[in-house]
Formats: sequence, structure tokens, C-alpha cells
Amino acid sequence: MPQETITLEVFRYRPEEDKQSTFQNYDVPYHEHWVVLDAINWIKDNVDGTLSYRWSCRMGVCGSCGMMINGEPKLTCAVFLKDYFPKVIRVEPLVNFPVERDLVIDMDGFMEKLKSVKPWIIRDDTDQMDQEYLQTPSQLAAYKDFSMCINCMLCYSACPVLDGDPEFIGPAALALAHRYNLDSRDKGNEQRQDIMGAEEGVWGCAFVGECTEVCPKNVNPAGAIQQAKIASTKAWYRSVLLPWGKR
Amino acid sequence: MSHLTKSNEAFWWSLFSAGGVMAALFVPVIIFVTGFVLPFMMGDDLESQYDRMQGLITMWPTRVALFGVIFLSFFHCAHRIRHILMDFGVRWAGVALLILCYGGAVAGTVVAGVVLARF
Ligand code: SF4
Ligand code: FES
Repeated sequence: MPQETITLEVFRYRPEEDKQSTFQNYDVPYHEHWVVLDAINWIKDNVDGTLSYRWSCRMGVCGSCGMMINGEPKLTCAVFLKDYFPKVIRVEPLVNFPVERDLVIDMDGFMEKLKSVKPWIIRDDTDQMDQEYLQTPSQLAAYKDFSMCINCMLCYSACPVLDGDPEFIGPAALALAHRYNLDSRDKGNEQRQDIMGAEEGVWGCAFVGECTEVCPKNVNPAGAIQQAKIASTKAWYRSVLLPWGKR
Repeated sequence: MSHLTKSNEAFWWSLFSAGGVMAALFVPVIIFVTGFVLPFMMGDDLESQYDRMQGLITMWPTRVALFGVIFLSFFHCAHRIRHILMDFGVRWAGVALLILCYGGAVAGTVVAGVVLARF
């Protein structure tokens, strides 16, 4: 039996030669156990070495292989060709980001947003940094799910708010901020409040919930943002009713 | 993301959430109790039904409770409409939209208050 093939319709953009992006079709050998990333790697190795994209772990851990597959944000190492065969698979860069080249997006804005929420454990200057800060299993459980994010940015492509307002801090970064706010070892709540409680923070969220739908790690960013809205509301009332007190 | 806009959304959102609880939980219960349970329990005499229902509503705790339910439901509704309009691109209307939506809720609240107080 001749080798069966499947067609990938791949987004191409080479800024030094193309004025506009185009789509290029590639026929790829079809194997039931191949994921979309295998097919893209096959193209790169056998047909067109100029195709640019990001990937690393091939096992849903590094978060670098996110692309739009038939219009949906997916980890390409986690979606199988067999789920689309024999139809054409359209592969595009993640939406809501500027495209650098082919399937590679510019993630500087995302990195800046991540950094802005101070996603690390904040302690007082007086704390001893060389001592251990113990945590009970239930204190760990309070934030564990929200800490599973791999920064794949699928939720940023799924979010309809980001489509209209690129300033919105976005699901992953807000969920991560909430993860640190919930951490019993952290004292950074107050420092994060300005950004969490801003229009661009939790209040930008319209609770559509698409981020939670597409998240490959079940982080539930939409849930984290809803919880953070309650925390932000308490902080707002405290700052208005007790302006002299600590927030 | 270079600048942050300070937000008072927490205030509207807290009324919205409280109103959501009212609209989803208490309003159906009120409709069920006053629309079905009580009329069936009160027998066939419509005039005495009316009197007894009026007696129930004119008790001050009932008036206050009803006022709470109606006022919060209005704000829930106003917030929802404002955000739907914003999602449809009416963001530019800014403060005008705010006044229109929450102003409507305030007007509804005042009317509800007057009606309940004079009932
Ligand atoms: S929250 Fe989920 S979808 Fe968003 S970046 Fe993290 S792992 Fe990816
Ligand atoms: S290659 Fe690492 S998550 Fe897909």
C-alpha cells in the first residue's frame, strides 16, 4: 500500500522577502501516532529548511510549541494528526501576538506582563532568608493548581478581551499573581494590588472562560481571576473605608 | 501595559455579584412562594387572598427585604448591560454609559423604594 499523506497548510512570513504573509501547502506522510509537531519537523528536515517555529520538549512540558491548529490554540506536540485526518490541517502562529517570522511570535509583551505582577515570593526586609518557611499540605493545596502554568500562552490567544485590548495583563500572568498572593510564605499582596486592581488587571476580564477551556495544564486561570476579583474588591473597600489603615 | 488605570470597578462589581445572588436565588423563590405556594394555601376567596398578601408585604421586615432584593437586582442588571454594550464596542461612551446604566438602576431603586414605602 502506498504511503498515505495528509496536507498541512502552513502560515509563512519571511519579513526580509515577503511583504505579506502567505500559506504554503505541504504533503506529509501520515502516521497514526504522529503529532502535528512531528509533521512540522518532517517538513523542516525533508522539504523546507527555512520554516521557522519554536519547540523543545515534545512532551507538553516546555510550553514553546503553541500554534493555532485549524483556528484553535493548541500545543502542537499534544495534538495528533489522526484527529484531523484526512482533512487539511491549517497551522498558524498564535493569535493576539505580533508575528516575528513564520510560526514564531514575539513574546516580549507577554514576558513584560509576567514580570509586572512580581511572580516570586516577597518577604519583609527583616525576614531571615537563610531559614526554612514550612508549609502544610493544605496551605500548598490552596495555590497548587494555579502554579502548574508552563507559559505556553494558549490562553492569551484564546482570550477575546486581549483581542480588543492588548494592554490587558491577561490570564496566565493574573493567575500567577494570584498563585503568589495565595502562598502562605508570601507577603507581597499589597505590592501586587495596584496592578491586580487596575482596569488592565482583573477588571479587564469579562469572564468568558476561554482561557480555562484551552489550558493544557488545567490551571483554570478564569477561576483564579474570579477569586482575585473578590480579593481586589475587599482591598478596594478597605482602602476607601479605612484609608488610614493598612490595605 | 506601560501605564495602569486605577479602577473603581470593585464597587460596581460587588453590587453586581450581590445582585446576581438575589436574582438567581431569591427572586425565583419569591415568585414561587408568592405566585404558587401562598395562593394555593389561601383557598379560593380572592379578596381575602389580596388582603392577606398585602398584610404580608406591608410588614416592615418584608418591605426592607424586598427593597434589598429589587435594588441589588437592578444594579446586577445595569452592570451586565453596561458590559455587554462595552463588549459590542461602546467603550468610547465611557462615563455617559456609566451614567445611563447605573443611573437607570438608581432611578429604578428610587421608584421601588417609594412604591414599597407607600404600599
Ligand atoms: S495558564 Fe494554561 S494556557 Fe495559560 S499559559 Fe499557563 S499553561 Fe498555558
Ligand atoms: S514541545 Fe514542549 S510543550 Fe510542546
